[in-house]
Amino acid sequence: MKPTIQMRPEGGVRDRTTSRRAFLRGGAFAAGALTLGRSSAWAQVAGGSYPGSAPDVKPDYRLEISEIEWELAPKKKIRTAAYNGQIPGPLVRVTEGKTVNIDIVNRSDREEIVHWHGQWIPVDVDGAMEEGSPMIAAGSSRWIQFSPRPAGLHWYHTHAMAHHDLKRGLYSGQLGVLHVDPASGDPGQFDQEQFIVLHDWEPYYAASDDGSMMVSYACSSVNGRMVGHGEPIRVREGERVLFQILNASATEVHWMALPGHKFQVLAMDGAPVATQATVETLRLGPAERITARVTMDAPGVWVLGEAQKAFRDTGMGVVIEYAGRSGKPQEPGAEKLAWDYRVFGDAMPLVPKPDLTIPLVFTSRFKGHGALDEWMINGKSWPHTDPIVLHEGLRHRLVFDNRSVDDHPVHLHRHNFELVSIRGAATSGVQKDVVIVEAGTKVEADLVASNPGNTLFHCHQQDHMDMGFMALFRYA
Amino acid sequence: MESALKLLSFLLIACSVCAATVHAQGNYEIQVYGADTVAPRSTMVELHSNFTAEGHPALDGVAATNHAEHETVEITQGINDWSEVGFYIFTSEQSGLGVQWVGDHIRPRVRVPEKWRWPVGVSLSTEVGYQRALFSPDTWTWEIRPIIDKSTGRWYFAVNPALERTWHGPDVNLGIEFSPAVKISYDFTRQISGGLEYYADYGSITNIASLRSQQQQFFPAIDLNVSPKWEINFGVGVGPTSATDHWIVKGIVGRRFDWRKQK
Repeated sequence: MKPTIQMRPEGGVRDRTTSRRAFLRGGAFAAGALTLGRSSAWAQVAGGSYPGSAPDVKPDYRLEISEIEWELAPKKKIRTAAYNGQIPGPLVRVTEGKTVNIDIVNRSDREEIVHWHGQWIPVDVDGAMEEGSPMIAAGSSRWIQFSPRPAGLHWYHTHAMAHHDLKRGLYSGQLGVLHVDPASGDPGQFDQEQFIVLHDWEPYYAASDDGSMMVSYACSSVNGRMVGHGEPIRVREGERVLFQILNASATEVHWMALPGHKFQVLAMDGAPVATQATVETLRLGPAERITARVTMDAPGVWVLGEAQKAFRDTGMGVVIEYAGRSGKPQEPGAEKLAWDYRVFGDAMPLVPKPDLTIPLVFTSRFKGHGALDEWMINGKSWPHTDPIVLHEGLRHRLVFDNRSVDDHPVHLHRHNFELVSIRGAATSGVQKDVVIVEAGTKVEADLVASNPGNTLFHCHQQDHMDMGFMALFRYA
Repeated sequence: MESALKLLSFLLIACSVCAATVHAQGNYEIQVYGADTVAPRSTMVELHSNFTAEGHPALDGVAATNHAEHETVEITQGINDWSEVGFYIFTSEQSGLGVQWVGDHIRPRVRVPEKWRWPVGVSLSTEVGYQRALFSPDTWTWEIRPIIDKSTGRWYFAVNPALERTWHGPDVNLGIEFSPAVKISYDFTRQISGGLEYYADYGSITNIASLRSQQQQFFPAIDLNVSPKWEINFGVGVGPTSATDHWIVKGIVGRRFDWRKQK
């Protein structure tokens, strides 16, 4: 079946099968002639298989969304939607600035959408219907093309709302790592690279301390396996292992520890940090990523896992096995759970004056002890939230003012922001696209508006997003 | 005829006292159980304070409930995420008797873990204990209490279809008695919930007592959810049947202690 609709980079729709082919034949794709940040996307309406409709070019990656049965452990199987029949989905490894073609095929029975988290790409391919990216109907496919930037550890995942369906959205297995290698070609200094993807499974509603319902989980995994059931990570003494860690949980903050070892944090959310501090425990909110180097200098068999035993008991960990060593893996002990983004910032923070200040006040509305809270930004819930206006080229100070009793990992699409204060203490040198704003605290972050188009801002906790914690930024 | 009336009166009073003795036990801890159990490595300490404003007089060596103040300390220890053990110390204070120890009970409880994702909360408790004959002629009793509850939006429902058995005392011959309790409440705010609690004792399951001899109590009650560490419940109960204490004021104050390592 031939493609019938072309999505233009600006989000328009038109019949352009022939011009698409001409475009491809013209070598614009192969030559990387698209300008940085430009994109193209083609959607195919229901039915048919995609490959027959794209005779001129092979996609760099093909993501097929389907329902699968997945074995977290020999006696623990789940049914969930995933990419290419695996959890996590295939590693998408691309080069900064080099156009990538991705064919997304939705073989599930529901419309879906794939968000390229952390990428500064146009609205039509970013993958958020609230911005204007199209949903992919059940049984349909969509071809997207974009120029990856910035470099670093990012990811892709469904951006479908779950609402009260705990099988949808990020409660499912629709997640995978996107790694953008730097255009410079310098991979950094390490001997071995390991991608670590955290996720929680079998969600259910439970009472929370704040008097409302929350989502809890029956089990957890690292790279799709419960601890002890995946292949161990094999290392040699003296090796420098680069751990690329992604918390792909729908709602849970995770603390990761490797007993006997320390993490030298090199980057967060793909962006190099100003100070490569060394810590014993890593905190990752939902959607946060940390790139950390560990020198393997404590021979033995260990568990790289959740520092909190309750999560480790439900499966969150992976065995690290030194060459020539065997035995029962040693688990993380009672690590202190403390985290301060400022440790990774400049020693002497340098905070420029902003051009504009945008207050963003987070509050909740009680809906009953047997319900999820409704969430609000500046007093309103999505879709009634007021749009926030950005001015291209200006420095906007986002004041995240969390007046609720929950922590919120807030995420801004298609941009990074630089942390400039946490609980009133100045910082600089830490670029993020997700930041945890702890309950009852303020975090300030500077955003230099440089990627025009609708931009979604939301809490990355699926249940909070589903209950209204979203707003749209638009350019003036 | 006169002797028949006297006999009838005696039987009615005897039935009332008999029922009241069972009920007296309930008057020490008036609570509809929810399915939740106390978290592992946590302890819940509750004080149940119940004052019978209009109850029954002393009869046949059993202390009056009228104007009795019952104080019960309940200590519940969480074992794991699906079980707990509770321990009760019952006391009574009333004119002429002063402060008296009444008895003790122990109550293990198991629940369906939340991660089984059942649509309702379900747990099962069993309670066994002793109470002095001065306060209840049935000195050794046993209870099994299924507990089913559900929160949906602002509404909360709980039902406890409890079965009781006397092991030592005059009610031994009654066999198993049916004593259900039901609660329905509405969350007015995050902190304040209000609703109705219902407690009953229908007598033996093989020989349901007449309505007059049944215990029926209705408690309009409020719950204050001021903190996850605290549990506060207050209610005023009316007993419309002659076998029931007619007016009771009850209060529960609970404090949760968490022994887990702080993060």
